[in-house]
Amino acid sequence: MEHNDLALDMRGITKIYPNVIAANREVDFSVKPGEIHALIGENGAGKSTLMKILFGMERPTEGEIFVDGQAVSFSSPTDAIAKGIGMVHQHFMLVPSLTVAENIVLGMAPRKSGFLIDYREALELTRASAEKFNLHVEPSARVADIATGMKQKVEILKALVRGARVLILDEPTAVLTSQETAGLFQELKNLKEQGFTIIFISHKLNEVKELTDRITIMRAGKSVGVYDTGAVSEEEISRRMVGRDVILSVEKEAVAPGEVVLQVQGLRYVNEWGKQALDGVTFSVRSGEIVGVAGVEGNGQRELVDILFGLRLPESGTARVGGVKLTGLPQARIRSLGVSYVPEDRMTLGIAAAASVEENVISDRFQGKRFNHGPLFRMKELHKESDRLILDYSILCKTRSQEVGMLSGGNIQKVVVAREFSSDPVLIIADQPTRGIDVGATELIRKRLIDLSRAGAAVLLVSADLNEVMELSDSLIVFYEGKIAGYFDNGEWDDVMMGEYMLGLKHQSDEEIGRASHA
Amino acid sequence: MRDRRMVFFGIARGAMAIILALAVGAVFIFLSSKTPFTALRYLLIGPLLSFHDGSVIFNAQYLFQIFAAMIPTIFTGLAVCVMFSANQFNLAGEGCVLAGGFIGGILGVYLQINSGWHAVVCVLAATVACGLIMLIPALLKVKLGASEMVTSLMLNFIILYVVLHYLNFNFADRTKGATMTKAFRSTAVIPSLVPGNSKMSVGFIVALLATALIAFFMYRTRWGYAIRMIGINESFALYSGMNVGWTIVLAQVIGGMLSGMGGSLEVLGRYQTYLWRELPGYGWVGITVAILAKNNPVYVPLAAFFIAYLNKGCLLMSTHCDVPSEMIDIIQAAIFLFFAAEQFLSGFRQKLVVKTATEDLMRLEADRGSRGGGSHA
Amino acid sequence: MLEQFFQAVFKADFIFAVIRITAPILFAALAAVIAEKAGVVNIGLEGIMMITALFGFLFAYWTQSWIIGVLGAVLTGGLLGLVMGFFSLKLKTDIILAGIAINMLGAGGTIFLLNMFTGLRGNTGNLVTPNILIPTVKIPLIDRIPVVGEMLSGHAVLTYCAFIFVFLVWLLLYKTPIGLNIRAVGENPDAASSVGVSVLGIKYVAIALSGALAGLGGAFMSMYYSQGWNSGMVAGRGFIALAAQAMGRGEPVGAMLSSLLFGLAQALRTKASGLQGVSSFLVSLIPYVATVLGLVIYSISLKRKARKHAIKAVKP
Repeated sequence: MEHNDLALDMRGITKIYPNVIAANREVDFSVKPGEIHALIGENGAGKSTLMKILFGMERPTEGEIFVDGQAVSFSSPTDAIAKGIGMVHQHFMLVPSLTVAENIVLGMAPRKSGFLIDYREALELTRASAEKFNLHVEPSARVADIATGMKQKVEILKALVRGARVLILDEPTAVLTSQETAGLFQELKNLKEQGFTIIFISHKLNEVKELTDRITIMRAGKSVGVYDTGAVSEEEISRRMVGRDVILSVEKEAVAPGEVVLQVQGLRYVNEWGKQALDGVTFSVRSGEIVGVAGVEGNGQRELVDILFGLRLPESGTARVGGVKLTGLPQARIRSLGVSYVPEDRMTLGIAAAASVEENVISDRFQGKRFNHGPLFRMKELHKESDRLILDYSILCKTRSQEVGMLSGGNIQKVVVAREFSSDPVLIIADQPTRGIDVGATELIRKRLIDLSRAGAAVLLVSADLNEVMELSDSLIVFYEGKIAGYFDNGEWDDVMMGEYMLGLKHQSDEEIGRASHA
Repeated sequence: MRDRRMVFFGIARGAMAIILALAVGAVFIFLSSKTPFTALRYLLIGPLLSFHDGSVIFNAQYLFQIFAAMIPTIFTGLAVCVMFSANQFNLAGEGCVLAGGFIGGILGVYLQINSGWHAVVCVLAATVACGLIMLIPALLKVKLGASEMVTSLMLNFIILYVVLHYLNFNFADRTKGATMTKAFRSTAVIPSLVPGNSKMSVGFIVALLATALIAFFMYRTRWGYAIRMIGINESFALYSGMNVGWTIVLAQVIGGMLSGMGGSLEVLGRYQTYLWRELPGYGWVGITVAILAKNNPVYVPLAAFFIAYLNKGCLLMSTHCDVPSEMIDIIQAAIFLFFAAEQFLSGFRQKLVVKTATEDLMRLEADRGSRGGGSHA
Repeated sequence: MLEQFFQAVFKADFIFAVIRITAPILFAALAAVIAEKAGVVNIGLEGIMMITALFGFLFAYWTQSWIIGVLGAVLTGGLLGLVMGFFSLKLKTDIILAGIAINMLGAGGTIFLLNMFTGLRGNTGNLVTPNILIPTVKIPLIDRIPVVGEMLSGHAVLTYCAFIFVFLVWLLLYKTPIGLNIRAVGENPDAASSVGVSVLGIKYVAIALSGALAGLGGAFMSMYYSQGWNSGMVAGRGFIALAAQAMGRGEPVGAMLSSLLFGLAQALRTKASGLQGVSSFLVSLIPYVATVLGLVIYSISLKRKARKHAIKAVKP
């Protein structure tokens, strides 16, 4: 097909980041005018990077972009907007204290008598375009006061009034209730009828099936197939999406799990967007086993981990470690129960970047008797401890007093892991423990995790890396929409099956899921 | 920043900032003085050396005066170090100096202890009282999230007017022309360390001891460690299980105690009666000192010396030449702006970081290779 | 005693004094409002007022024109704002430290500069001539009304300006495109930049405007209030303005009400200091204590709102 017939054509897009991770490798992506085109793939498959390139937020290392047959080159979103491309970000780019109309005209406010905003015009513009595009909003309401669904419409309108003909929607339904989702779909279909082209990024197969005309599937930075939505089954999509490239082989002995360490009972949580992020989650983790939590991101894993480490309070339900209720406890108490936590966001929670390696590895134990003599630190003991950990976890640093922020990503993660794994934990919560780090560090961290579990620790492993959870876990929990969709403890799982549960195509019976609690 | 090249860069950058600031000062001297070179000589070397009929004399009295002037600013500098290390922009050190001076002074007049312990009690009482005063902005911050900056600024004025009220209505010695208290009892006066009128009191020794103590506190105790970690990354500190709220309160209380101690030592060491009727300004100088010292207590006396030296130089310049002593504020402001600028010479720093990192990596890889084997084995 | 006090307070000239005392604080508080709306803490207001008070006076003295003096002060204030902006936005000096540096310049640097330009020390003394001072105006009709006329008429031009500026700043922030951009940049810079608004540019504009407004306050101080410049004359008004901004919820009208509270307290203090048995110092405390209390109440209400997700609300 020639460029001329396409609304959008991206050819051979490659994006390599400075840390030599190729986020996109020779991706071809094209969209016909007036279609709704789904772009799907696991987290880290490269969808966001591709769309950032399309919206001028990143520049491709290689490749060409054609809009309506014309070659274009964007150096900022402003350029992309000028070429008729609009994007609705997952985190809304709205100013809460401003009204809907003010948000819509921000940066292009209509004027009257020279220097004043013509508010009547702004309201009129908002109202008129809302009507024209069939997106109902309250022009004079403050954004802080309106529901999430309406905020999203405001975002769509913002793009449309700036002349967008191609709309990129980044996981628009992730923050919506099911009614709001139904409304959004109707509106998107209307826009399609008016001739707009829509790129719809999603993980949810039922939505993709319902809404879109064609699908591009991405995996590991590449496009792995383009289909007409009607001509492909959900199972096929799922298989393509989560197919494995590398089979890791991790050696681990079989276990006979001990007694229950972590008992999670009926957890419910409504997140900041008013969404039921956790909807009655019950399971347990026993000593000596690794329980993996699989699932597409945004299905409640984040909230679960935060609650377990006292960073959020659940609406109802409890989590107990060794019989002691965790919820509402300060982190110091949680740690004193023998819980340790490898956080997903290592730069924010895991380390103090401007402090030394030593200061970072002792942050959970510096108050202990061993390291203090009266009011003073026993510096010798501190040095001994940090040197031991640096050696044990092969942290590549010049000295223990080197700034952690100067180390590589893998070594920073080793610092975090060295601290969290070495405090004789009874429960380890590992959240994306190997994301974005080199192979060597990954291998070391996985091996240590298995060693610790075989030595009797209970491990809860949350990871978006399906290979990782499948290889490391002794039993597996799959999250879907804030609920447990499946529990597997026989070690017989494969990616196809996982994909079906992760994407909501299959769901176990309550009885089968109930086994997860070992009650 | 701890490796040698970065340390060197840090020093070079600081020196550049100081030279630039002095250059700014020099420009103003040339603009305003008829004898700019004499003025510059007084500013830069006058505090140490005097010139008489072609001969150069080392002036010990001047040096003692500089040491004396360092007493309150070492304390406020330390106070700011501790509070800024915890990322608390508490500016009430200024008010605490005044409060400490007043409390120490009043006890010095009215308390009867017939031994050297009198002075000790006065200073300690002022110290404790100012620690308690600092609880106000600290608790408001931790419990309610009220900006410690605004509350501490207001606190300065509240302290000022409360002190003036009591000074005027309860403690003023009406026999004197100006508003001041009766003379301190001799037992409360902080004794001078050296002969002469330099006002270099035992307070100087106490200031150096306090420096050592705070340096130990910040780098050798669990509380100092927690304060520094909170300042670097509060989320990390919370996640590690530190008691963040309590530590933030502690940092500010210590800041108040140090300021109060500095104020009382200054008042009892320099004057015969309590006579401050406005905020003395040491709190603000303390901020300059802390910034020059990069929040490290060890460097506080050095920074305080530098500021006191410049101050003395400016004074000499104004007595002997036609340049007002307030030149010091222009130089201080310039130092302040350049010294605190993260991006000052940042291009150079960036190059250095990249170069160092690449070299390190190569060296470490080579190291590992020569030891013969992967470290994950 | 109380009777005396009330007699003194319930007089037209008392209200007149309140308005006069409020004006410079109000200028600075509005300056703080604009900066804060763009997400900039302008703690340098105190210093900017000192410096602009001096330059306003000097310009007026050199040209013998109060109008040029006021314009000079505004210009100086705007420039100082840009200097703060340059150091904080470009060289990444912490904005609070940049403000403190400006305050140092204001405290001692002004004495130096006065000496450099005029050879005088500490105050402008005999340089003051009627041409330099900001004139007062009688408002035609209101002047005739008894009591009210005495309160409201006969103020300096800039006094009226201060209250007019409450409206103008409100107009700027809420009715103009630049104001919309300022509010957007202060609240969600990502949202602003995603639609092509220059975040840095807007911050520069806001801090320059803030400096210019503080310049009006400075000019008012030296060219009307104190009838000349002296080294102690701003006396914390910049800091008070910062508090007035916070207590007034960052809104122009709120800032005006808080400024009036300060003006009232200061006027009371002047009255009370003439009376037996009333400590003018304790009266002086009122505005500062009121600010702290105001902040406490404000913080409690904020905290209550944020309670639901409070635990997660750790600073990034």
